Amino acid sequence: MNKTKIHARSIIVMSILLLAMAFSPLVSSFPTGISGVKDSGCNCHGATTSESVIPTIEGLPEVYNYSETYELTVGFTGGPSTIGNINLGGFHLWASEGELASNDATVQRYNPSEVGHTEIGNDQTSWTLIWTAPASDKNIEFILHTNSVNGNAGGGAGSSGDEWNRLTAKVSAPIEVLEQANPYVVLSTLIVISAILLVITVTYIFYRTNPDSFNWKTFEPWICEWLTSTDHKKVGTLYFLAGLFFLGVGGIMALMIRIQLSVPGNDFLTQDQYNQFFTLHGTTMIFLAAMPLINGFANWMVPLQIGAPDLALPRINAMSFWLQPVGALLIFTGVFSGTGADTGWTGYAPYIVSETAHVGTTMWVAGQIMLVASSTLTGVNFLTTIAVMRAPGMGWMQMPLFTWSILVANLMLFLSIPAFGVGLVQVYLDRVIGTAFYDAGSGGDPLLWSHLFWYFGHPEVYVVIVPAFGVISEVIATSARRTVFGYRSMVYAMAGIGVVSFIVYGHHMFTSGMSPTLRFVTMLTTMLVAVPTGIKIFNWLKTMHRGSLVYRTHTLWALGFLVTFTLGGISGMFFPSMAMDLHFHESYFVVAHFHYVLVGGTVFGFFSAIYYWFPKMTGRMLDERLGVLHFLTAFISYNGVFWPMHRLGVWGMARRHHTYFISTEEAMGSLPAEAAGWNMFISVSAFLFFFSNFLLIANMIKSVIRGKKAPADPWGGWSFEWMTSSPPPTPSFGHFNHGEWIDLPTLKDSNEEHIGNDPSPLVKWFQSLMVLDDENEEVNN
Amino acid sequence: MSGDYHGDDDHEHQSAWGPHDWSHGAPHNSWAPIIMSIGIGIFLYTVASAYSWGEMVDPSSIPLIFLGLTISFFGMIIWWRQDASFDGIYEPRATGTPFQNIQIRKVAMWMFLMSEMMVFTSLFSTYMRYRLGLTPCVEIYESGSWIVNSQTIDSGEAVNCFLPASELIASSWFHIAPGAINTFALIISSFTIVQALRWAKKPVGSVDEEVRRKRVYRYLGSTWILAIIFLTLKMVEWFVGFYIPEIGFLGLHEHDIVSLVNEGYTIHADHYHPHHGWEDTHLAELAAANPSEFEEYFANIASIEGGYVTTDAVMMADIRVSTSTFFVTTGTHGAHVFIGIIGLTYMTWKAWTGGYTPQNAVSIEYFGLYWHFVDLIWVLVFPFFYLY
Amino acid sequence: MSEHKIFGQDIYWANFIGLMVLTAIEVVAVGSEFSKAMTLFILVGIAIPKFIMIAAIFMHLWGDKDSKILTLTALFPTFFIIVMVLFIGLTHPEATTGLPEWCRPGYYKL
Repeated sequence: MNKTKIHARSIIVMSILLLAMAFSPLVSSFPTGISGVKDSGCNCHGATTSESVIPTIEGLPEVYNYSETYELTVGFTGGPSTIGNINLGGFHLWASEGELASNDATVQRYNPSEVGHTEIGNDQTSWTLIWTAPASDKNIEFILHTNSVNGNAGGGAGSSGDEWNRLTAKVSAPIEVLEQANPYVVLSTLIVISAILLVITVTYIFYRTNPDSFNWKTFEPWICEWLTSTDHKKVGTLYFLAGLFFLGVGGIMALMIRIQLSVPGNDFLTQDQYNQFFTLHGTTMIFLAAMPLINGFANWMVPLQIGAPDLALPRINAMSFWLQPVGALLIFTGVFSGTGADTGWTGYAPYIVSETAHVGTTMWVAGQIMLVASSTLTGVNFLTTIAVMRAPGMGWMQMPLFTWSILVANLMLFLSIPAFGVGLVQVYLDRVIGTAFYDAGSGGDPLLWSHLFWYFGHPEVYVVIVPAFGVISEVIATSARRTVFGYRSMVYAMAGIGVVSFIVYGHHMFTSGMSPTLRFVTMLTTMLVAVPTGIKIFNWLKTMHRGSLVYRTHTLWALGFLVTFTLGGISGMFFPSMAMDLHFHESYFVVAHFHYVLVGGTVFGFFSAIYYWFPKMTGRMLDERLGVLHFLTAFISYNGVFWPMHRLGVWGMARRHHTYFISTEEAMGSLPAEAAGWNMFISVSAFLFFFSNFLLIANMIKSVIRGKKAPADPWGGWSFEWMTSSPPPTPSFGHFNHGEWIDLPTLKDSNEEHIGNDPSPLVKWFQSLMVLDDENEEVNN
Repeated sequence: MSGDYHGDDDHEHQSAWGPHDWSHGAPHNSWAPIIMSIGIGIFLYTVASAYSWGEMVDPSSIPLIFLGLTISFFGMIIWWRQDASFDGIYEPRATGTPFQNIQIRKVAMWMFLMSEMMVFTSLFSTYMRYRLGLTPCVEIYESGSWIVNSQTIDSGEAVNCFLPASELIASSWFHIAPGAINTFALIISSFTIVQALRWAKKPVGSVDEEVRRKRVYRYLGSTWILAIIFLTLKMVEWFVGFYIPEIGFLGLHEHDIVSLVNEGYTIHADHYHPHHGWEDTHLAELAAANPSEFEEYFANIASIEGGYVTTDAVMMADIRVSTSTFFVTTGTHGAHVFIGIIGLTYMTWKAWTGGYTPQNAVSIEYFGLYWHFVDLIWVLVFPFFYLY
Repeated sequence: MSEHKIFGQDIYWANFIGLMVLTAIEVVAVGSEFSKAMTLFILVGIAIPKFIMIAAIFMHLWGDKDSKILTLTALFPTFFIIVMVLFIGLTHPEATTGLPEWCRPGYYKL
């Protein structure tokens, strides 16, 4: 194939991609788009608006007085209506605030914000009605539809020839109020701005790598390389960028949730919008931010740590990455038309299969199905890579702990995610072709969804925390300048968490009415999880105890992780106890707990990983001063966000509710007056936490452009990834020569302290099942 | 991030579209992943746009469904095109224990089958949960409790109960025939694919190359045909039904074997007549033991003749849960067969061009593992969904 | 693998014939007038050897050098399958209402 042909094809594919990206936000998630009073509520006859009909509205003040009643006259002139017709016209009026009411028999009231004509009112071209202004300051919008009718309805020609038009009017409050921002517009704008910033950054980085040849001819192969690459390092970088991008998007949604909750009874977000925002915040953070970040580092580091040239199945690896952005687009399609999924990230049945759940839920499910496919492929790939491609001499017990953590995480992920996938397919089919898996009316069992979801969901939360354990083990060992204490127990603890994670999931469903036997079993097993986790924490402490700790930025993050994760773990121990769980269920105590383990655990762990491995990935050192500043601001504001939530939870503030009320009296459903102050404090801290992370972004951009060159081993680590240059070459290790990989690294004595003494009886038995070296000849045939 | 590092092995920029040089070692670029992902995304999106709650709401999305499928298939073709040149000489093997020296892709296939096992376990768990949790329709019918609630019958309400497909399928030899033939078809296809593997693996020199080529592609081709037969019979059983002519010496009467869907056994069956020769023993016993009570409640809708109760009332059942589990579980299996057919198409073509040699015969084994797994699942699906 | 013989027959062929026979028995068993429980017993009793025959011989989990470790790989999800079947498949919707007496409030008269 000649070069021009390849180029032409690349250009075609890329323009299709660009077109798709430009159009996808415009696509509504449902063919009819948004329908509501404001946009097309008039059941007007006639195809489109007509200029010849001129709607009028009289009696509206410029500025209203509180609670005053106004008599309004609405009407129209023009159009086909002429005196003497059977019918003359009709109208429909919508007011955003205040109360509309009927004045006489020609007008009827549908609800406080909508009125229309009655059948008697058909014979008029103007109507009078009553509007009562609200008692507070609001910007009020009126939308009037008028329909001019030619009166042939009785003559068989139906409504043909009728024309209609729309008028909007605005009334201001006595005290001027600022126009309220539409949250969707805010979110969409911020997403688009972030995407544009990302594109600019990418282009700028391309420019900086070679300023002289900044043109399309060199840009095209460069960008095609990124779109088509199957190199584990490039795919890892893509994962990393996607993860950071969605961390920002999820963060923006979190901020909007916090604006809504900063004062009691706030109406920045409606109930409906709030539901979508917390659903997408959860989904984005777990599936589109945490998992890609983990996969980014796994992609980069696992082959390097085990001395493999690449992953076992590089093209499958690229496939599992590219399923993610497309799946993310599907998940977000609903948001752009205001009908995003509003089911919570757990998507509990039967709400998820009810028609009251937004239509965007179907797209959310479709997107999740793609993410499930992606995770399955990732699982196959990493398990195979770690099981078969370790460098000669590296046994299971010589593997670096980060690799072990990725192995355990992928094992959990990939054995549990089929349950979620099957559940999602069932929901998708229920919603699309009308099967009845979760239709309670037909005998479907909503609890089945909870079972399938949590069979996956609980291993999933360990999937996002276990890799952080791996990172922390690496970072603490390197920083303390000694091997990790109790390597074997670390491995067994992680493997134990992996196995136990499958039998604890029932603690999410204590209040659901599931089998009491199962409740009892999962109560015990959940408490059991504290044992391996405790072992790990003590091992980390012990590692530092006799080492001499070097305080780098990644060390600080690791220490921060130890504090916050332990706190999160302790608050987690309240939930296995059924009695406590019934009290704390659905409260902010739960929110505080899982943010302590997911942000304080996973995110802090991976911030540590960024500071630790960034020099390896880019060949540039990060700025330590900015790093320390980032740690201090983020750590303090983070605790400011989530620590008070424990208290709010104990007070009874309910999670997933769009607002709350305070009261000085003992009233059901109300919080003490201090709750308002704490919520404001949380919201302010949330802003600080969000913006403190820009220090990291600034640090990375600065470092890529003009950071100090990194040596091969800046921190004195001793696993394989530090033995190759920074950034590593492609392939990472060795050469492919006449069908054989040569010059692969072999394990030297650096990791020897990990190696146990004699193999245990279990290990001996296991070895007897393996293919032994002397049998290799025969296998080769 | 540095985009310009090329190791010593990577001087030649490989095409992301065309065949690969497998001796090359370095990662090969490929357009296939991104194109396939976009196709799958369009497919899922447009299906959900076109249909909602079992009704077509947007016919204009239908062409886009096919667009999505076409794009995914185009990606698949790129993938195969890159694979077609693979001759197996550089098949990577495991370096670490315990899999030492086993082909990496074989291990990967087994890992993949692990997740497939969990997929089908989830489906079977769903089925067991409903089969054990919902009362069987026959039990409700025989207990007569549906007549006790006869006011609900008048108002057109249906009883929620479980009606396994085997009630219909195992009702006669002809109803069972498509499923039974399918079972044999899958077993034969498992046999033909190991034969293809065996012929492809015969050492060079021990067999004429032309004979090998013919054997391999004919065995793969027969596997392909058997898979097509499987899906065709499934469609016959689900949607079409078939016709039995009058054959005197076999004692056959002329009649139609009605498909499941035409029988009313569909995912929308919320009013279904579930009884096929069930006996209402409960009512007969009640009538015998306590005639006055029987008279009081059922006299106007049922009567006793010769120890059996006959009634004009019709039991209506909402069996959507039963049908959903049946069609989705067997359908998932059918989807696996369909994916197998797509793979077999490529492999048969490659075998026809003489692409399989002892060096890369093991590729047939990877596919074979998947195919035998599909057969294994059928071994479980057939008795539990078709027979019991 | 393919060099093995069973009853003097080619192993794949013998396996194939065995599977055909077992399937035929299954179909006949369902066509005959057995009780539900008996039918289930026969079906499970036949499905297990069929399962093993396909896995062991067609999927090469028996007789090859790499069979042992691949069998272990294939058996790895067993625990997770059992957990799922026990927790999801066998705790049916009526589990709460259908509790045994000893598990209900008031049984121990405390």
